Amino acid sequence: MAVGISVRNVDFTYKTDEGESTSIKALDGISLEVETGSYCAVLGPNGSGKSTLAKVIDVLELPDSGTVVVLGHEARDDSTCYNIRQKCAYVFQNPDNQIVGTIVEEDVAFGPENLGVPLPELRQRVDEALKYVGLYELRGRQAASLSGGQKQKLAIAGALAMHPEVLILDESTAMLDPISRDEFLDLVEQLQKDKGITVITITHDMNEAARCEKIFVVEHGKVTMSGTPAQIFADPDKVIKAGLELPPDISLVNEMAKATGSKITRDDIKDKKSRIEAAVRFAKNAKEVPAMDLSGHREKGEKILEVKDLSFSYDDGKSFAIEHINLDVYEGEILAIVGKSGCGKTTLISHLNGIIRPQSGDVRVISDNEILTTKKKKDITRIRQKVGLVFQYPEYQLFEETVEKDIAYGLIKMNTPGVNREGRVKAAALLSGLPEELLTRSPFELSGGQKRRAALAGVLVMKPKILVLDEPAAGLDPVGRREMFDTILALRETGTTIVLVSHNMDEAARYADRIYCIKDGREAACGAPSELFENEGKAKSYGLSLPLLYKFSSKVKQTLAKDYPGIDVMPPYPDARNEAASIIRSVMKC
Amino acid sequence: MLNDISLGRYVETGSVLHKTDPRIKVILYIVYLVTIFVVNSPAALIALALLTLVQLVTAKIPVKVTLSTLKPIIPLTLFIFLLNLFTLKQGQMIWQWRFLTVTDYGVQRAVLMSLRILFLILCTSVLLTLTTTPLKISDALESLMAPLKVIHVPVHEMSMMMSIALRFIPTLIEETDKIMKAQVSRGADYDTGTFINRVKGYITVLIPLFVSSFKRAEDLAVAMDARCYRGGEGRTKLNPLKISGRDIAVLIVFLAGAGMLIAVEFLYGK
Repeated sequence: MAVGISVRNVDFTYKTDEGESTSIKALDGISLEVETGSYCAVLGPNGSGKSTLAKVIDVLELPDSGTVVVLGHEARDDSTCYNIRQKCAYVFQNPDNQIVGTIVEEDVAFGPENLGVPLPELRQRVDEALKYVGLYELRGRQAASLSGGQKQKLAIAGALAMHPEVLILDESTAMLDPISRDEFLDLVEQLQKDKGITVITITHDMNEAARCEKIFVVEHGKVTMSGTPAQIFADPDKVIKAGLELPPDISLVNEMAKATGSKITRDDIKDKKSRIEAAVRFAKNAKEVPAMDLSGHREKGEKILEVKDLSFSYDDGKSFAIEHINLDVYEGEILAIVGKSGCGKTTLISHLNGIIRPQSGDVRVISDNEILTTKKKKDITRIRQKVGLVFQYPEYQLFEETVEKDIAYGLIKMNTPGVNREGRVKAAALLSGLPEELLTRSPFELSGGQKRRAALAGVLVMKPKILVLDEPAAGLDPVGRREMFDTILALRETGTTIVLVSHNMDEAARYADRIYCIKDGREAACGAPSELFENEGKAKSYGLSLPLLYKFSSKVKQTLAKDYPGIDVMPPYPDARNEAASIIRSVMKC
Repeated sequence: MLNDISLGRYVETGSVLHKTDPRIKVILYIVYLVTIFVVNSPAALIALALLTLVQLVTAKIPVKVTLSTLKPIIPLTLFIFLLNLFTLKQGQMIWQWRFLTVTDYGVQRAVLMSLRILFLILCTSVLLTLTTTPLKISDALESLMAPLKVIHVPVHEMSMMMSIALRFIPTLIEETDKIMKAQVSRGADYDTGTFINRVKGYITVLIPLFVSSFKRAEDLAVAMDARCYRGGEGRTKLNPLKISGRDIAVLIVFLAGAGMLIAVEFLYGK
């Protein structure tokens, strides 16, 4: 196949006003080639230069040195850039920041209007693009009123209307829930097949990367690995070292290989079928009984918070955001609240510390032998001290001159006398994993992950008994996600009860003791992860998708059951190592 | 917390006014603006009220939307009413208490001024914001001001800036709401305390809002670049403005209405 995009020895440095010392070298002699019509992923930790690479390809930035040739056009200066931009469509991470038009169809038309496409062709292009992504019915709606998933489809439609040959997705799925994400990826893959569009996707989602034909791993502004997903993921040590991780299914195969003292090969993981076969083969070849680590399990504590028959409507009772919610939270547990976007999760957690006061029903916090209720105005301040709430993307709430002052804000506002403020701030920073030397810096100088930790510390400083987190790991890279959950686990060790909202079912299953599932504002299910995710049908009836690990392991178990009719099928474990051990054990018992 | 702001919100009802060419609406708006400030006499004010009602009905604007449009300006209206009521000293005194005096002229002016504000808002909403998308308003302005390009006024850029500003109003309202909730859960309080303290409290919202707005502006600029935006030169339009017979009819009917108002004013006024 022909080479569509070629990047050779490209350097790029972000220059700042303060001169050399503060400028950041984003690309350091990077080279890669992408074949026309292929589907590839660019992976790498935050700050590795992935987005800069994409911007250089779309000539949104001009390289300092080296050459970029896209579809036969070389990017040299501003005069040639439109030849490339016209053929290269770009979808960004934040759906809101790329919509120009107020009305859906006006936004789709923005690109072709810029190209000077005349009517009636313009109208035809807009309609076609909208129909392709399934937003034609909504063409007259306000763009701002669409859901996140719909906004990203709108961005695709806007790109399609320009008749591109290359589509660049810059973490476009990062802010979507798993169902919207799957729909979005299906759409992109359809485009690649139907129209022969070359797709380059930048992502932190390994499962998404595994769907591609080719992967480029970028670190420190260079391509350090490239190859098919099977080639890349067949070397787990290298993958982990690059700050990435294995997709859940490959991770399970890898753990089973490890438990039997062997290693996975490219052929083992080249497609879905071979992954199942490999897992079955490793299970059969096992000689030793592998050890399991079940230290995470804990006993239920006392009830610390209860939600009683809670209903809330934003439009005077015409429709309910949440309806008749009953929920108990026990001391020391991690409770995950899950459900589709817009099902009422955020409304529910906003009730837990009285940001929203109940219209009907009650929220009670039970602590130190007294019961506080958000119904009573005089209890609210004390409830807010006991229940800390961290919203999604909390880094957007920082405002003070220094990180220290920002963290202390809540302490000052809550007016707690006789508290060693400085000590509390330091302790909170330590708990949230923020290095002490950053305390005197401006919060706006920190990196994305550090900002999030600073915001978390601003809530922890009140020493809440219950910490409520809305998507704490959203938008972080694999290492960042893991560190965030390590922080949460460490907080639980100090006795803090955790309530967290998550879109990621694998993480919910892995870290939560119990899961509370909401569907259309009502309780759909509540129980241990292994109960809710017992099988695909059950999960679907709650409006959930199965954790990817469970999905894969249940297929492995089904295949094994054919060969070993008497096999004991154990409930799944949420982490790959224990699940691998559990499968091997049940095979060995037969 | 900020859900009930409906100033500058578009409401689709598919009425004749919604379909009218925005340039016609902008011209009519200017005509009515002048008319509102010319009208003085009670008779003409009643006629204006009737005409506004007709406009609202023509535009099929639900009563609830009308009320929510007026709600945010009630404090301002009240302020202007009281200011006129107590500060105008001309005319016959009709009420006095300590240093406060109310004259018949004061009452008259106070009523007139507050009604003008209400009509002004209704007129802006029904002729422009509620029935015309921001993009169309800026299209209309661009087209009406096109002659100014000769003297190097950046007409296209101005209209683009305006439409983007309007496009981001709902996004920023949502964001403000989010930031406020986050700060409230850290102990911020925007509803009680002294006035100064409350104003100070808003710093905790404004700074994050500014920071994120700059980020948004930067992102949007890159996104527009990526979609080949390079100014007004050579751009086409999905919905080009075209004056139809119906637009002319709307123009004539509404101009006649304004003419009638001015006639009533001169016949019955003074």
